[in-house]
Amino acid sequence: MISFRRVLLAITIGTAAFAADPIPVKVATDTSGASTRVVLTFAKKVACAVVEDAGHVKVNCDAAIAADPGAGTLDDAILKSFGAEGDRTFVLTTGRGYRSVDTFELKNPTRLVIDLQGTRTAKAVTAPPVPQKPLPVIVIDPGHGGVESGAVGPSGLQEKDLTLDLARRLKALLERQGATVVLTRDEDRVLPLDDRTAIANHNHAILFISIHLNASKRKTPVGAETYFLATSATDAEARTLAGLENKAYEPPDATTPPAPGSPPGHDLELILWDMAQNSFLVESSRLAEAVQTELNAATGVRDRGVRQAPFRVLMGATMPAILVEAGFISNSEEEARFKDDAYKDKVADAIARAVASITARP
Amino acid sequence: MRRRLLAVAGALLAASLPACRGRDRTQNEPVSASPQETAAPHAPEAEPVAKASVTLYFPSATGDVLTAETREIVDTKRPADRGAQIVAALLDGPKTEGALPAVPPGTTLRQLWVRDDGNAFADFSEELVAGANAGSADEILTVYAIVDSLTENIPAIHKVGILVAGRERDTFGHLDVSRPLPPDLTLAKPKPATE
Repeated sequence: MISFRRVLLAITIGTAAFAADPIPVKVATDTSGASTRVVLTFAKKVACAVVEDAGHVKVNCDAAIAADPGAGTLDDAILKSFGAEGDRTFVLTTGRGYRSVDTFELKNPTRLVIDLQGTRTAKAVTAPPVPQKPLPVIVIDPGHGGVESGAVGPSGLQEKDLTLDLARRLKALLERQGATVVLTRDEDRVLPLDDRTAIANHNHAILFISIHLNASKRKTPVGAETYFLATSATDAEARTLAGLENKAYEPPDATTPPAPGSPPGHDLELILWDMAQNSFLVESSRLAEAVQTELNAATGVRDRGVRQAPFRVLMGATMPAILVEAGFISNSEEEARFKDDAYKDKVADAIARAVASITARP
Repeated sequence: MRRRLLAVAGALLAASLPACRGRDRTQNEPVSASPQETAAPHAPEAEPVAKASVTLYFPSATGDVLTAETREIVDTKRPADRGAQIVAALLDGPKTEGALPAVPPGTTLRQLWVRDDGNAFADFSEELVAGANAGSADEILTVYAIVDSLTENIPAIHKVGILVAGRERDTFGHLDVSRPLPPDLTLAKPKPATE
C-alpha cells in the first residue's frame, strides 16, 4: 500500500494562512451508518488535504486549527480515535475494519465530510459474505427537519417526523431487497436542500427518493402525488449556456437592476447543475409512474397523479430522482391514517415495490 | 469597462429610487406598486381612461388547480405598468366563490420591472413567505398564480422572477425560485376528475 497518498484536496483556498489564531473546528462523528462519518465544521474557509498514512487518515490544513473536542476515542471497528498532530493536522486513527476514505465538502457553514468506508464484521454474530460487487445505493431523503417542521396536521402531526418515520420503514424494506440505503438525515435536524442532493450524488446513488407530506389551506384535498423535475424552465437556457463553455462569463444587461444577490457566474453554475437531472428525466418519470401506481393500489385514496414542478431538491441529482407527496396531513382523516403503523408500512411497501419493479428491469 | 461600471451604477440608482419622476422612463425601470400610481396613470384629464380586460389566476375552490378570473385594468401600454396593476389585482384577492387568495394576507408588491429579455421581476414584502415551508401544493399555487397571471396577459413577459424584500431566494421551501420561472399552464387547466 502506498503509505502517503493524496486523496483529495478539499475546502476552497481561503485567506487564513497567515492568521495568528487557530481556526475553530467542530468535530462530530457518526457510526450509525454503513460507513463511519466524521464531519469537521470550520469557523472559516481553510485549505485542507485529506491523506492516508499507514493506519491513519490525516487532514492537513494550511492554517492552524483548533479541534473541538481536541481528541476522542470510539468503540468502532473502522475509526478508533482522533486527535491533533501539531497545530495544522487533524488525525483519524483507523481500526481493523477500515478500507478506504471518501470526502466531500458542504458550504454554509464550511464542512468537510469524511466517510471512512469499511466493515464492522467483528461485531456481527454471523458475518455475511462480502459481496463481489458493491450493492446499489439508494438515497432516501426525509423532507424538512429541525426547526423546519414542514406541514403540521390539524391534531399536530408534523411532516418532518412522518417523513423520517416513512423513510426508515422504506430503508428497511429496500435493504431486504439487497440495496444499500443512505438516509440524507437520520435525526431531527435542519438540512439544506442542496446538501440533500449532494449526499445522493456523493454516494453514487442509483435512485434518489425525497419523501414529503402535503398540506393545503383547504382542508379537503387528500391523496398522493409523485413529482419529477420540470425542466421546461431551463432547457433553452441550458442549451444556450452549454454552448458557451469556452466563452467568458458576461454579466447581465447592465442597464437593468441585476437580480439581487447573484455573484458573477451564479447563473451558469445553476444551469449546469440543472442539466444533471435533465439527462435522467425519462427514468425519473418511469420511477414516478411506478411509485404513483403502487401508492394508489395500496392506499385507495384519491389519485392525484404524476406531476412535474421545478423542485429544488431534484435539480442537481445525477440519477433518477423523484419527490413523493405521500398524502395531505392538513386533512384530518388522512392525518389520522398516517398515525397508524400498518398504514405507514403500506405506504413504504408500495414505494419499495415500485423501486423493485424499476431496478429489476434489464 | 469604466463606462460599463457607470452604467451599472446608474441602473442601481434608478432601482433604488423607484418614485423618482420627472424624466422619461424606459421599459427597464422599476415601477412602484403604490395604489395612487397604479390607479391614476398620467392620462389627459378630459379623455376617458381606456380599460383592458385581463385574466387572473387564483387557487381554485378545490385547492388543486388555478382558476381563471377576469378583471378590468387601466389600459397602460408599458409592460411594467400592466404587471404592477395585475399583481395589485391579484393581491386584492379573488371574487370567485370559494377561490382562495393567491398570497398570504398583508403581502404587498414592493416593485416590479420587466427586462428586454422577457424576464420580469416582482419583488414582494416578507409576508409572501409567511407560513412558507409547509405544503408544496400551496407553494406551487402561490408561485404559479403570480407567474401565470403575468405571462398570460403581457406578451413581453416570458418568465417571472419572484423576490422577497428585495432579495433573491433559492427556494421558499420546495420550488427552485432562484431564477425566473416560465408559466405552468397545466395548473390552469383542470385535469378531468378521476373520481
